[in-house]
Amino acid sequence: MATTSRALEVTVISGEGLRLNRRRPVKKNAFAVVRTNSRISRTTKTDIDGRSYPTWNEKIVLEFPSHERFLTVEVHCKTYSGEKVVGAVRIPATDCTGEYFPDNYLHFLSYRLRDGKGERNGIINLSVRFKVPENRVSPAMCGGGAVQWMGGPLAVEGFSSEVVIGVPVWHRYKY
Amino acid sequence: MAVAYVKKRDGSLEELGRTEVIMNCLDPAWIEKINVAYQFEMVQLLVFHVYDVDTRYHNLPVKIVTRQSWSLTIKLHNKNGHASLRNLGTITVHAEETIASRNAVEIKFRCSHLDNKDLFSKSDPFLRISRIVESGGSVPICKTEVVNNNLNPIWKPLTLTMQQFGSKDNPLIIECFDFNSSGNHVLIGKLQKSVVDLEKLHKEKMGVNFILPPSRHRAHEKVLKGQLFVDGFSEKKLYSFLDYISSGFELNFMAAVDFTASNGNPRSRDSLHYIDPTGRLNAYQQAIMEVGEVIQFYDSDRRFPAWGFGGRTYDGSVSHCFNLNGSASGFEVEGIEGIMAAYASALHNVALAGPTLFGQVINTAAEIAGRALSCNNSKYFVLLIITDGVLTDLQETKDALVRASDLPLSVLIVGVGGADFQQMEILDADNGQRLESSTGRIATRDIVQFVPMREVHGGQISIVQALLEELPGQFLMYMRSRDIKPLDANAAPLVPPDQGHPYPIDKSSEYRISHEA
Repeated sequence: MATTSRALEVTVISGEGLRLNRRRPVKKNAFAVVRTNSRISRTTKTDIDGRSYPTWNEKIVLEFPSHERFLTVEVHCKTYSGEKVVGAVRIPATDCTGEYFPDNYLHFLSYRLRDGKGERNGIINLSVRFKVPENRVSPAMCGGGAVQWMGGPLAVEGFSSEVVIGVPVWHRYKY
Repeated sequence: MAVAYVKKRDGSLEELGRTEVIMNCLDPAWIEKINVAYQFEMVQLLVFHVYDVDTRYHNLPVKIVTRQSWSLTIKLHNKNGHASLRNLGTITVHAEETIASRNAVEIKFRCSHLDNKDLFSKSDPFLRISRIVESGGSVPICKTEVVNNNLNPIWKPLTLTMQQFGSKDNPLIIECFDFNSSGNHVLIGKLQKSVVDLEKLHKEKMGVNFILPPSRHRAHEKVLKGQLFVDGFSEKKLYSFLDYISSGFELNFMAAVDFTASNGNPRSRDSLHYIDPTGRLNAYQQAIMEVGEVIQFYDSDRRFPAWGFGGRTYDGSVSHCFNLNGSASGFEVEGIEGIMAAYASALHNVALAGPTLFGQVINTAAEIAGRALSCNNSKYFVLLIITDGVLTDLQETKDALVRASDLPLSVLIVGVGGADFQQMEILDADNGQRLESSTGRIATRDIVQFVPMREVHGGQISIVQALLEELPGQFLMYMRSRDIKPLDANAAPLVPPDQGHPYPIDKSSEYRISHEA
């Protein structure tokens, strides 16, 4: 059985407080690498003069196989003596879906980066969202807030596990 | 004619404005508009007197802003407050937000040559901007993040809405503090500038010196070397808090009460949980009332989840999230009075125990907020935690807050009693140190506001007011970061509409309120 994978939209937003060799702040040329496993990875553009607070705001879409449990994000820096890994973090896939969030929720996440020796080295800010296929019917899914479903809630305070199908009706908020 | 008053805390009425007189008419439709400054953090009671018909109406709460059509029609009462047998008629009040209040300014501040207030390192400066209020005191409206160890800091751009600063000519107090984790931030310097002044500073690329006010050691004020610069100044139009609320967005209120033993036996007079038979509210009741009575107007069904933590319930075990109403299945109560009643009865049924842990309550509130997202994204949740003491497990609380930081949720913590609340300042994350969980995840945003009940901001401004002031900002930050617009965004464009206005748009006829005594 082929492993299924979902498209994951990762927007690498920015980094904070990045240093090289634990002391000197990163001066320039920082970029981020996002990978799901050793084969699938994408790289952002390089922020030439962002210093230790680089900004990328770059959206990357990659395939996230269902069996993978982590998303790895690394920050690299091009220095005159070669490319160095400033820091990395392994993000659990559960953080990207969240425990009780709707499927296509846009998660804004931030993580502590750690360098090769395991020392703290800055913060990475990003957003992730799993793309939900258009043809999938999800009773609990409501888009944009403009059309509101009049059906019952999917889970009432965690007690019920029944699935309720709602019928979409144009619903203007009534006081 | 009709005269509008605002009823102040002591019961006295202050006139806001009056309409013109319409003669010889039993169905007058006045043209004069009266401007009222909307303040989220207080319940503003408006009283309307209609003269010449010798009738009077009492107590129209500010609830008017949460009605879709912004109009309210109420029956008039006579002088004694009774609706008389004779039909005295009705008054219809129509409210709308003045377009100008969608204005906001984004300012990039920078300082140079700040004084060093730290012993072994440099100052950790942050700016606090306050608005001067009628009573002469000032209310903080926003703060920058803290920049560590730097006497020439550059802060991230700060957005100030017209709601916050009032008018561009209003003087604002800008104070620069050195952050201390104990909460006793040291003043580096202050100055007073209006938004117009700041715009000028930006244009002229000039700096302005900070001043140290007179103190015990010095009779006059001292001009410092440290300067403030405005590196960026831009005006934007933003959907305001009221745009969201009037389109149907709601604030859902939730409360959690500390039942740990450090409060003292509720039967003893000096217990923080003592219920005074004369009716004087204890610290817990006061906090619930002051926060709840403001937020309840923004909650459509007035059903509030209410929990206790740190108490030993009927089955003998200590719970860190038990239903305040003592029910096994539902955690909601009806109205603020429902919370008060559940609290009073819980004091009889629950034994104070410990330790003080917030994690479970925060997780439960987060779950509710997360599940609500499946139905719509127009609910924002406010969890009020009232506690007397020091957290037993700070990391557990940080973990719960970090997990909840990406949700439409704000956590307001009120500290009662005399404990040292230094930890709470850490949770409030005002020092720029974003909360970090034990798994390495960092809080997406600062969702905590903390205030100790004993802090008194100069009399007229209640403690809780300061807490609530920041709530619309947190709400807006969440909505704007996700580009969530008010529900009828197409019907409420940011460009002021020229048609369909029931009153003539003639600025010269606007009746301006004056706040001078």
